[in-house]
Amino acid sequence: MSNDQLTGASLSQGATLSARLNMLVRLHKIEARRGILDILANPISNFMTVLVIAIALALPAGLQILLENGKSLSENWDGASRISLYLKSDLSQSKLLELADKVSQEPGVANVNIITQQQALDDFKQHSGFAEAIEQLDSNPLPPVLVVQPAVSHASPEASEIMLSQFKTYREVELAQLDLDWVRKLYAMLQLAEKAASALGVALALAVLLIVGNTIRLSVQNRREEIEVVKLVGATDAFIRRPFLYTGFWYGLLSGVTCWLILTISLLWLQDPVANLAGLYQSQFRISGLGWLQSFQLISASCVLGLLGSWLSVGRHIRQIEPR
Amino acid sequence: MIEFAEVSKRYPNGQEALKRVNFELADGEMAFLTGHSGAGKSTLLKLICLMERATSGQVVVNNKNLNRTSRRKIPGVRRNIGMIFQDHRLLFDRTVFDNVALPLMIEGYPHREIGRRVRAALDKVGLLSKEKHSPIMLSGGEQQRVGIARAVVNKPPLLLADEPTGNLDPELSAEIMHLFEQFNQVGVSLLIASHDLSLIAQMHYRTLVMKEGRLVQDQVDSLEQDSEEVASE
Repeated sequence: MSNDQLTGASLSQGATLSARLNMLVRLHKIEARRGILDILANPISNFMTVLVIAIALALPAGLQILLENGKSLSENWDGASRISLYLKSDLSQSKLLELADKVSQEPGVANVNIITQQQALDDFKQHSGFAEAIEQLDSNPLPPVLVVQPAVSHASPEASEIMLSQFKTYREVELAQLDLDWVRKLYAMLQLAEKAASALGVALALAVLLIVGNTIRLSVQNRREEIEVVKLVGATDAFIRRPFLYTGFWYGLLSGVTCWLILTISLLWLQDPVANLAGLYQSQFRISGLGWLQSFQLISASCVLGLLGSWLSVGRHIRQIEPR
Repeated sequence: MIEFAEVSKRYPNGQEALKRVNFELADGEMAFLTGHSGAGKSTLLKLICLMERATSGQVVVNNKNLNRTSRRKIPGVRRNIGMIFQDHRLLFDRTVFDNVALPLMIEGYPHREIGRRVRAALDKVGLLSKEKHSPIMLSGGEQQRVGIARAVVNKPPLLLADEPTGNLDPELSAEIMHLFEQFNQVGVSLLIASHDLSLIAQMHYRTLVMKEGRLVQDQVDSLEQDSEEVASE
């Protein structure tokens, strides 16, 4: 040992910046490795933890995917919004055809269907079961109807609403009605379900934070002795915290990937039955899985939760450990 | 290096571990701290490395008043003090090399510098050939020497040792003490708590004797004449 003994403590400041940076990167690598080894050291119980987190994440994420599929399904039904024009009863057949022609020229109209008074009556007889009662009537009480199908570009509730007010100005139109109610109800239900999914998501995200926090707390307690020793040789809280943060991050990453697997397998499993069902309704609808962006979002959200959970837990518990 | 002025320490359970202790350890001085167990030796050392805080009085180490050191500054204080414990306090899940490297890693030394310094420290304590071993494979004396290597690896100006030879046979103890003398010769200040009076007597260094929390004797040379008297108490 030479005579630079006393100046030794300040020597580290003389090291070049790149060398120190290099060491920092190396330290992070060591700690990242130690973090993952910590998890692998106890594979079964830690895998359980990962699975619990993954399932907690899969619930809201799966619900979200189903909702998005539901939305795209309802968007496919652009036939949903139809406008019924109930005309005045005294309209002649030729006037009726003329009007139908005029209506179909309006911008945003895809197609016009004519239901004459007679057709309406026949329809009603067939479906209502009041055929005999209707036979007794002297005259046909039903008006002729034009069923207007808006073009896809005009199918939104707002555009249909505008078209409706346009038709209301027609002299021949007794009553114009937008058959939107059930679409509105479906949208409202989807919105409600979306809110519920968000609430569930928040609750389960909190649960994930608690699970990770608790796991890290146990890990801190297990390494109590080690923490005391490194504190004695002058480690800062930040230095002690780092490996635990890495452990939390790894938990997040492993759980995110596991969650992704769970969702992808479940969706694959649903694919065939859904296609079958859609086929029965003459629909080409196919359930869509996780895209690249969504997968990335899911896994990074999981990593952030893992990191945050351990960060919230580790600071508090490290403070409580002081060397004796 | 160390300055105690009217220092008292009362633990939360009411035990008065130190009572108005005054002493000074000069830069580059080596001294022993002795007395029966429970006399306050450990508490005195703990105040120096901020494992405990004084209830009253002033503790100044390395020209820093520890009474005014915030919690966040504690690591900085400890980096300038090498500590050696009776139970070594090694990490058994790491190699000898990694144990000794710990203080340097904490301070963010460059990798090559760490290798150089750790090997120098291990060479100094005669364990260079065991750097890849786990501490669990080493004998008690070797473990203590790993602890010493860790304490000196970042070349702190002050070494504290709490019963460093407590578990060792006389021959190994003498070896350890010889190491301490060598550090002292290159300017390191040392304060060594020990109740091994015969060993202290051979060494001819300043000796502080504690009894029931008070500093009762401050012998500049050694305890040669008084050792039997203290031992018989």
